[in-house]
Amino acid sequence: MRARGLQNAKKAWIGLLLLALLVSLAWGYNKNREASELSLVAENHNRRSLQNLAGHLTKLETIMAKEAVANSNKQKILYLGQAWSHCEDAVRDLAQLPAEQTGLNYLGQFLTQTADYAQVLAHRLASGGVIDPAEEKQFNDIHEHLLSVNNNVQQLLHRVDNEGLAWTGKTKGFRERFNLGRSQLAEAAAEGQESLPSSVSGGLEQLNASLQKLPPFSYTGEFSTREVPEPLGLSRGEISREQALTVAKDFLSKVGFPNRAPELASETSGLLGGYLWRSGNVLLEVTRRGGVVSSYRDQRTPESRLLSVDNAREKVMATLKSLGWQLELTSTEDFGPYLQLEAVSEKDGVRCYPDKVRFMAAMDNGELIGFDASAYYAFHHERNLPKEILSLKQAASKLRSDFKIAESRKAIISKEGNQEVLCYEFRGHYQGEDYLVYLNCTNGVEEQILRVIQTPRGEYIE
Amino acid sequence: MKLQKSWGFPIALILSLVICGITYAALGDRSLAKGARGPEVRDMQSRLISLGYVVGPLDGIFGPKTQKGVKLFQKEHGLKEDGVAGKLTIDELKRLTAGSTNASGKALGVKNIDVNLLARLVNAEARGEPYWGQVAVAAVVLNRMKDPAFPKTISEIIYQPLAFSGVADGQINLQPQSSAIKAANEAISGVDPSHGALYFFNPAKTSNRFIWSRPQLITIGNHIFAR
Repeated sequence: MRARGLQNAKKAWIGLLLLALLVSLAWGYNKNREASELSLVAENHNRRSLQNLAGHLTKLETIMAKEAVANSNKQKILYLGQAWSHCEDAVRDLAQLPAEQTGLNYLGQFLTQTADYAQVLAHRLASGGVIDPAEEKQFNDIHEHLLSVNNNVQQLLHRVDNEGLAWTGKTKGFRERFNLGRSQLAEAAAEGQESLPSSVSGGLEQLNASLQKLPPFSYTGEFSTREVPEPLGLSRGEISREQALTVAKDFLSKVGFPNRAPELASETSGLLGGYLWRSGNVLLEVTRRGGVVSSYRDQRTPESRLLSVDNAREKVMATLKSLGWQLELTSTEDFGPYLQLEAVSEKDGVRCYPDKVRFMAAMDNGELIGFDASAYYAFHHERNLPKEILSLKQAASKLRSDFKIAESRKAIISKEGNQEVLCYEFRGHYQGEDYLVYLNCTNGVEEQILRVIQTPRGEYIE
Repeated sequence: MKLQKSWGFPIALILSLVICGITYAALGDRSLAKGARGPEVRDMQSRLISLGYVVGPLDGIFGPKTQKGVKLFQKEHGLKEDGVAGKLTIDELKRLTAGSTNASGKALGVKNIDVNLLARLVNAEARGEPYWGQVAVAAVVLNRMKDPAFPKTISEIIYQPLAFSGVADGQINLQPQSSAIKAANEAISGVDPSHGALYFFNPAKTSNRFIWSRPQLITIGNHIFAR
């Protein structure tokens, strides 16, 4: 009886195990099918991106050749606009391809800089400027670089199509695994011993390395030139850590924290580098050069909202005044527990938009809980404004006749290439929309158009 | 005729209940408290989620997690912290999640569509870091957008291959916390505690030579910000 029972139990176990095996086989088959489907989706996606990348680069090369020969501004603007668009599309496709290591992507950088350069030249021609011979040469040099990039990308595409080239390297070497420098592939390419890449990502890495061997592409972009080399709004001379502490204490006492002894959280570098101080929830930064508070943040969560927007604004403006700021408020956003505001300096009736200060007011008591004067200290300076300018009436005549002007004033705005320009600012209405139109005070050229919309938090300019 | 008379009252009752149900479906017509159910609760949960508040599953049921989310929203917006979504709470929620309009009042949809993605990155990369450090992480993405060496949109920068570990390991897909959304908004408004940094890294976790070679600008929390 007992032996029979044991036999039955054995059979039951075998049955259970067989059932489990069948279930796991079915599960494994299903997972394998899902993995194959995902792999196919990824393969198709990668192929599409590489094909698109090669396509955009080919078209870009043709367009750059045509731009070189074009002699009319209309044609040049057309080709530069197309070059800009193809570069941006190519960067997008490049970003979709699998990569193996982080770091600066020279191919992406090359294409982004080219897009930026084409955009800047197109804008310049559109606003009546010219391209000088050095810039023409620069554009031709980029074209030369592009020929070699094109060749490499097309080879990769050919090998993917005909040799089934993998997207990424199958295994990593000891050096790559432990991050001991660049891969051998990139080093070989940089040293001129280019071997055939074993994967698309390896090929792109080799291309990155080979781009580094070419003569440097001297254009570093509008952004780098838009940054001022030194803060225009800070006096020369640096302060010590002890002096910075005094500045910090003085600021804290004026914003509602007398007798605080802040501790140094970090020393900072950069354009407005200095000392970052901490006191409880409060952080504030004092610049080494000039010894001013460039930013301040009280990280507390405001209590119940007790003030109206107007009351909170009045209180915070009074605090700013006690800190020595005389500013014109330009925007208010209501985030619920706090307001976020922007104000700019104004001199002789001219609003200086680059000299911007951002700040925050708590809606429970109107205290200043955020302050950032980085832009102000970076860009504020005595400006020599042009004397020979159009009258307001002459400038207004340059607007569309059906643009209904609501407000107008003089303003300084920033434009590409680290330039500032004196404009007439016209706020007005056209076809159910509100706009800000900026016309150059000297020649009446439309420098900028902004649309004003209403968001849940207040007016927003785009 | 007799039959019609006897069915008249129940039909009218059912119709009025249906109409009441439809009327109640709009958020703001009644206070919502723990135990409430229905489309208006779902609408409220959806709005809270979009602002970064954890409310549990989006199921239209006002459970303990939703109540906790409502309380946190009330606390952070200066409202009475009772966990009941009354008129003031719902009005504030509606105001903050409404779309934009032009000067004629025409609806333009949500204009800050990139805020959520930026907040997701902040949440993935700097969850647990001080708030100021979260703003700095968001500012790094915006600084890259202005630099010619990087792509020109927030999504392209964030999804650049291996640019951010939080994307590579999938943490980008987590629902961002409210502090991450606030930090993203603050950075978009132009605040940059990173001093114009293009990179940030945790020195305890990074051995990449490229990133260590960049000029360091500021340390906030566990992150070094570099250019």
